[in-house]
Amino acid sequence: MFRNTREGLALALPAAIFSTLLFILPVGILLSEAFRQGGSWSVQGYIDFFASPLNRTVFLRTLKLGVLVAGSAAIIGYAAAFCIVNLSPKARGRVFGMVVLPLMISPVARTYAWIVILGRTGIVNEAITGLGLSDTPIRLLFTETAVYLGLLQLFLPLMIISLVSAMENIPRDVIPAARVLGASWFAVFFKVILPLTKEGLVIGGTLVFTGALTAYITPAILGGSKVLMLETLLYQRVNVSNDFVSAGVIAMILIVMSFTANLLLKRIATTRS
Amino acid sequence: MRHLANWSILGLTLLFLIGPFVIIILAGTSAGNNLAFPPEGMSMKWYLKVFTIESFRTSFALSMALAVFGTLAALVMGIPAAYALNRYDLPGAETVRTIVAAPIIVPGIIIGLALLRYMVVPLDVTVTMALFMAHTALVLPYAVRVVSSSMQNLRVDMEEAAVLLGCSRMQAFTKVVLPNIRSGVLAAFILGFVTSFNQVPVSLFLSGPGVRTLPIDMLAYMEITFDPSIAALSALLAFMSLAIVFIAERLLGFSKYV
Repeated sequence: MFRNTREGLALALPAAIFSTLLFILPVGILLSEAFRQGGSWSVQGYIDFFASPLNRTVFLRTLKLGVLVAGSAAIIGYAAAFCIVNLSPKARGRVFGMVVLPLMISPVARTYAWIVILGRTGIVNEAITGLGLSDTPIRLLFTETAVYLGLLQLFLPLMIISLVSAMENIPRDVIPAARVLGASWFAVFFKVILPLTKEGLVIGGTLVFTGALTAYITPAILGGSKVLMLETLLYQRVNVSNDFVSAGVIAMILIVMSFTANLLLKRIATTRS
Repeated sequence: MRHLANWSILGLTLLFLIGPFVIIILAGTSAGNNLAFPPEGMSMKWYLKVFTIESFRTSFALSMALAVFGTLAALVMGIPAAYALNRYDLPGAETVRTIVAAPIIVPGIIIGLALLRYMVVPLDVTVTMALFMAHTALVLPYAVRVVSSSMQNLRVDMEEAAVLLGCSRMQAFTKVVLPNIRSGVLAAFILGFVTSFNQVPVSLFLSGPGVRTLPIDMLAYMEITFDPSIAALSALLAFMSLAIVFIAERLLGFSKYV
């Protein structure tokens, strides 16, 4: 450790000042704008926002998709992570690489694949009409299911990565020991694996939930204006109706939800132990 | 039996994660004019057509420039900050950390909108400049975090020894610290590059007439046209990422930094 504080500050300040000017200040003003109404402070913007049925639907849909995607990712993530840590070291590295890889690829490209799969002339519809299950293609795009699938594919790797690194820290003999002593797989999961990996679950859960909540590309491409989520609603409000109060309100909701999710999950993790 | 169950779970998961890319690569090889799967015949015409679309070429160049220079600018600010946070007993170190990490926590679309409204419009900043600064701010947290974690593994006494043996503080940094955190810096660069290049929400509001990043341009294109060119372009971008990751993995075992 070096003692010269002034020198240290001089090194750290450019980054801190840049972030403050470019980020904290503008975002702060934007958030505070949602509390202004005709020159005085008020929460009218929030009341108006939640008075609209469309806004309420979008809010609840965003919350629902966030929970569903995070929940599904946790279930699939545990199964996949358990299999990955049981592989030989060489195979483990390869499979883990394949899980990480999609994270490096443009989300636009990743989401576009679902248009090819779910579109009118996509695989699923070709199969349905080909098998004679339906004469006309079924509308699969611009549905909540499409957005759900897109989000899950986008964020599942984050959950698997978090859970794999948590499971790698479980001592090797613990699970066989529990089995030998008569625990069912069900008990092994809830009494051994879950308590030992809950930190990974919290990290993964927060990443997936907030990721799904604040996603723009997936609802924009796969949901369109039929299945709006908070971010696509924000974009519409600004671009179509120049409504910056609503934009500030949505921004605040997104930030508060992300923070609450993080705190809540942390709380759950500490009370169970 | 256990083996079989293991591999079928992994197989299904990987199919879900990787399968869509295979489909998109194949959809790009279509000889027909409509996006369909299975593709109507085989040809490379869409892969070639992508290179002839003017707007993709300019937006690709812009995205590349933003990713390279934005990440470099973030490293220029981020490396000293990471160094200061690790090596000095700073009052308010926690505050600095929080401020620098903030852009990760807040949704990108909000950052973009706030910058547009309170910087670009009132201060008359050009769109390109605003995009550059926004991308720098976005990459900065990753630069600080990744460089920090590689600096933590480097013992302070090595630097002290260098100073005792006659190096100036600056020389100690360039001759001892920098070579030792090289792979961390490279990892931060790659991570920052990929983050910036693939970024959509921050650039959404900051794109002006004729100034668009590639992902934004793709979004605009697919709203009007329904041909396989976006599939071909997506596949090409996936290959580009693949190449970057492969090279990074070979050079420095990249996956441990992600």
